[in-house]
Amino acid sequence: MEDVEILAYRRDDGSVGVRNHVALIAVDHAGAVVVEGVAKLLRGVEAVSHQYGRLQFGEDLELTFETLIGVGCNPNVAAAVVVGIEPNWTTKIAEEIAKRSKKPVESVWVIGQGTISAIEETAKKARELVSYATEIQREPCKLSELVIGVKCGASDTTSGIAANPVIGRVGEWFVDLGGTFIFGETTELAGGEHIVASRFESDEEREKFLKVFNDYIEFAKSKGADILGSQPTQENIAGGLTTIEEKALGNIQKVPNRPIKGVLRPAERPKGKGVWFMDTSSSAQEQVTLLAAAGAAIHLFSTGKGNTVGNQIVPVVKITGNPITAKQMRDNIDVDVSGITMGEISLDEGAKKVYDFTVKVANGKLTAAEILRHDNFTITRLYPSM
Amino acid sequence: MYKKVHIHDKRDNVAVALEDLKPGDKIKVNRNGAELEIEVKQEIPFGHKVALERIQRGGEVIKYGETIGVATEDIAEGEHVHIHNLRSLKYS
Repeated sequence: MEDVEILAYRRDDGSVGVRNHVALIAVDHAGAVVVEGVAKLLRGVEAVSHQYGRLQFGEDLELTFETLIGVGCNPNVAAAVVVGIEPNWTTKIAEEIAKRSKKPVESVWVIGQGTISAIEETAKKARELVSYATEIQREPCKLSELVIGVKCGASDTTSGIAANPVIGRVGEWFVDLGGTFIFGETTELAGGEHIVASRFESDEEREKFLKVFNDYIEFAKSKGADILGSQPTQENIAGGLTTIEEKALGNIQKVPNRPIKGVLRPAERPKGKGVWFMDTSSSAQEQVTLLAAAGAAIHLFSTGKGNTVGNQIVPVVKITGNPITAKQMRDNIDVDVSGITMGEISLDEGAKKVYDFTVKVANGKLTAAEILRHDNFTITRLYPSM
Repeated sequence: MYKKVHIHDKRDNVAVALEDLKPGDKIKVNRNGAELEIEVKQEIPFGHKVALERIQRGGEVIKYGETIGVATEDIAEGEHVHIHNLRSLKYS
């Protein structure tokens, strides 16, 4: 496959983005109200809103910070305004985004002026940043300069037959050209973890992966969930899946069959090109958000029954191999590869469709989830707040 | 007219039915460079697996080029491969 030229945004930190958003990033619930208000006033901004960020501590707080900082640093973002209840955490996040990404970043806090005044201050600052951002031109870049993420959701029998193998093939083309590819979903690998483990380049990273995996299985067990014993489900068996290995292999098909470089912590940026594993939940909106925080510019998402997930910062490309879903949920689906399921087209032909669509998205075409405003930014919480 | 099945990897000894299969249906598969015709022996619904060769009891069942479990009884070419004759090697 050819490393096609795309017109994209080259950022000062060396990363390449396919969108040019001014991100209005909420630190907490007070900031959420402000950024949502401003998003209704201005063109060219994206509200990154959530209700957490208070009385968190330790690793969980670190992950919330890294998620917000990471999204601000995402190459699809041109500039950001960080809005919180108070100046301490707000400026900490804003300064870290500016330091790491060299982008213009402003901060606003609500205490001392009230919500309406904070909306005004944020709108004025964002207005200047939109004016700045929209002067930035797309320039020639290579597709392989992007970071691409992957996930599957609402999977069914067709996911393992068509959509996942198609993404795996696209990923192989992309990685062979020098691209960077991230997969996650720790629990979804159960039963096939030995296969994923065997693909790590170094023993050190392999051991790290197995520890992450085993620790989660034990954690789930301590909460009364038997991840290994509950698979495959009755629904899976009715669909033709017999063993946990088989189900896991269906999921793993979406991971390019290439050496895996290493294990990333949630929201951590890859430390080089190639295939990376990130320790994430298998919940779509959480996983897509963590990969956005790690710098993914595009997300390839396979679905059987029709998961609708999207993200305000990262275009999510929805791919299905289920002909019924392709028809019933046409509004939500970007690429229909059900021809593979029907035995009408080859895997490579399906993969070419996805590759071509991905190039269009990189050049600016909006995905279904973007057009429909599936803005599902979601913070992964590790444990309750104080 | 051959019925449609899907083989993920050339090492696989099972194929996935892309339509409901009935006893007597014929499928055509490429095995080790040779075109083979296999007669379906049992009802095999869409998405379920059909054996592409004889798999002895204890033998590995291969899909996606990887072992997905072992046969718990002898499986003949063209038979349905599922929970009645295949078990996980990892957790059972």
